[in-house]
Amino acid sequence: MAEKCPACGSCGMPMEKPEDFALGDVTRPYCRYCTDARGELLPYEQVLETNAGFYVESQGVTRAAAIEMARAMLADKPAWRGRH
Amino acid sequence: MMKQSMQAATRREQKVVTRDRLVNAAMALFARKGIVNTTTADVARSIRMSHGVVFLHFPRRDDLVIAVIDEFGRRLHAEFRHAFDNDLGLRAVLHAHLRVLAEFEPFYARLVTEAPMLPAKVRSTLMMLHAAVSYELFMALERERKAGRARKFPRPLLFNTWIGLVHHYLVNRDVFATGNSVIAEQGETLVNHFMSLVKP
Repeated sequence: MAEKCPACGSCGMPMEKPEDFALGDVTRPYCRYCTDARGELLPYEQVLETNAGFYVESQGVTRAAAIEMARAMLADKPAWRGRH
Repeated sequence: MMKQSMQAATRREQKVVTRDRLVNAAMALFARKGIVNTTTADVARSIRMSHGVVFLHFPRRDDLVIAVIDEFGRRLHAEFRHAFDNDLGLRAVLHAHLRVLAEFEPFYARLVTEAPMLPAKVRSTLMMLHAAVSYELFMALERERKAGRARKFPRPLLFNTWIGLVHHYLVNRDVFATGNSVIAEQGETLVNHFMSLVKP
């Protein structure tokens, strides 16, 4: 099995290098994309938009499909569990 | 005290070993029977474990499927990191992608064949991995372009052209390969063709 690195508690992105973490701090539970300039977790809607954007930019899927996929991805992450 | 902490460490190690066995067994069964057709009971039976152990590690069947996809994702990430850190160029990124696909080929071929039928969470995980591949391809292409070795390509079409080609061969691997691996037999042809498409 490949070696495991921590994953963002909000979006699940693997965090391998310090710059992947919020504020470059490897003790933080969230990645740089899911946090603001102070390292605080962004609101759900903003994280949802960012993740949906990854699908659209990378593969050109429709915005509606991207939002649904992002919602499915985030649903059981520690930061958002029990939200629905 | 020391004995207790040693026992706890052993339990943790055993937990990791059991989890890895389940993931490997699931990957083999998914490849053989298909993802939709494989139950958690099948996975438990294949390695003579109780069904309850599967649920202890993976409360939902989707969690087990995603654990296998994550394993693939981790290998991919490591290969891409190596290609990126060493500035190896687009051809090397394509080869890195194919190396991992070849390693996971029977499972991955099932995954892409069944993707539209899989639960949203599983499909979304796969599509997020595609997003990572798309990023690596695009960054490599941009480096080639700046060096005058490639032309401009919109990012989604760059990725979709590559993955469409690769997935077609994978989904129909029984008619494109004489042996067990279509990637081993056709991979170089696909890389050469794709490189010819991006030439300036």
